[in-house]
Amino acid sequence: MARRKPVSALPPGSAAPAVGLKTARPAQHLRLSSGIARATLALLFGVGFALSVIPAGRTVARAALLLPAIVAATQPAPLILAGAPIRHTQLTIPSRGGTVYLDVYAPITSPPPVPGAREGVVMISGVGDNRAVPQFVNLSEALARAGVVVMDMTTPTLLAYDLAPVDGDAVVQAFERLARWPGVGADRIGIIGFSAGGPLACLAAADPRIRDRVAFVTLFGSYFKASDLLRDFGRRALVVDGHVQLWQPDEVSVQVLANIIAGVLPSWEGAAIVNAVAPGGTPLTPAELAWFSPAAAAAYHLLVGDEPARVNTNLAALSPQMRKLLAALSPSTVVARIRAPVYLLHDRNDHYVPFTESEDFAAALARLGHPHDFVEFGIFQHVEVRSGLSVSQLLGDGPRLFRVLYESLLVGG
Amino acid sequence: MLILALIWLAIGLLVGVLATVAQLQPLSWGRRAWLMMPGIGVVGGQAGGWIGALLLGRYFGTATALWFAVLLVTLTPRLIVWINARLRFTGTGNTAS
Repeated sequence: MARRKPVSALPPGSAAPAVGLKTARPAQHLRLSSGIARATLALLFGVGFALSVIPAGRTVARAALLLPAIVAATQPAPLILAGAPIRHTQLTIPSRGGTVYLDVYAPITSPPPVPGAREGVVMISGVGDNRAVPQFVNLSEALARAGVVVMDMTTPTLLAYDLAPVDGDAVVQAFERLARWPGVGADRIGIIGFSAGGPLACLAAADPRIRDRVAFVTLFGSYFKASDLLRDFGRRALVVDGHVQLWQPDEVSVQVLANIIAGVLPSWEGAAIVNAVAPGGTPLTPAELAWFSPAAAAAYHLLVGDEPARVNTNLAALSPQMRKLLAALSPSTVVARIRAPVYLLHDRNDHYVPFTESEDFAAALARLGHPHDFVEFGIFQHVEVRSGLSVSQLLGDGPRLFRVLYESLLVGG
Repeated sequence: MLILALIWLAIGLLVGVLATVAQLQPLSWGRRAWLMMPGIGVVGGQAGGWIGALLLGRYFGTATALWFAVLLVTLTPRLIVWINARLRFTGTGNTAS
């Protein structure tokens, strides 16, 4: 049926009659909805393209799914659905300090043609046996699902709540093992050190064998200078922006420092100090301390914090061996030799290691002009996410955590 | 992978419907566009998802499905119109010769 062309009965330039609006409105509505649909399609195209093809966008996509996995301490359904199936492997390798225990979480599938190789991360969980700690396992699995090969490592020294400079070699050996892992790009490996794992991460990142290949170093709840840490323990206080702020260290941190110092003391002195600071231990009496060498007595007072006014005197009384050991376990000694960017994370209410340590670390990196980032949080208890967090806390710290995740994952983008 | 494939299918369907609302289809398709455009979207979503999963890893399959479906619903109708026009032109040319 042929359509008749509508012909206007009105002279040119005259206003349209009211009845004409009824046909104009659907046309306008159609144009509007078409415009909105086109804009939505353009937006979807841009977002999809950026999140899958552009390296920075790919990193955003991975960080976006990892963030809820870390904050909620469980893996969200989209990550399980979209992520790669993973495999957990346990193995051991030798090092100068003894056996290194490795737990590898890796995607089962071969790396995709683009970018061609996977990112790898050596994670040092700190002292004690954290290999089955749910939040640590969750983080390892979540990273692996996002395509990162995660190598969690520990050593007999760390398992015994102790720290030794020789374990820097253990991290180097783990790094080398990860560099040979199928599918891992040798130039895409970073080191993450949690708590006491931080100094070991720094020792390895400064090691001439690997320092030019380390993609990044991330330190969470770690310290910068062991002697400053001991000073804070002795004072039971921190100096924050020029103001003294009371601070009570967790007993685990005191035990670890006692174990470290005991290593350079005669065995009876070392054992006495370790037993005294152990949970349920009895403080040493002045009569017992009278038998101690001045260095051992000074170390004891610093650990238990019973002479806050004499902290500097006690620090000065430490033996040369103690000073040497503390320096050897301090990232401050090797910071100038680290080549990789350093990302520092610390909770403001950390009772294991004061957050001022990371502030000092960041200040030293800034003085050196070394690429770094420092993020302070309020949602963690040392290195674990606290439960019962409010929305405002999550909104406040979420973007900061996302930023560090993005920076750490960018090498694998 | 089945759930992911279903998600890619849904994405393609949604993009196809959006493309129809956006009037990206040729006028000659008329009401058939409501079948054709979602169909193209579904093909685009599936192709993008699988290509993305194979080339970039399955983590990025969904994002690839999204932009690939949009690309296909935008280009395919124009391509069909262009091919039809060329065929018609070739047909006319043949008749003339």
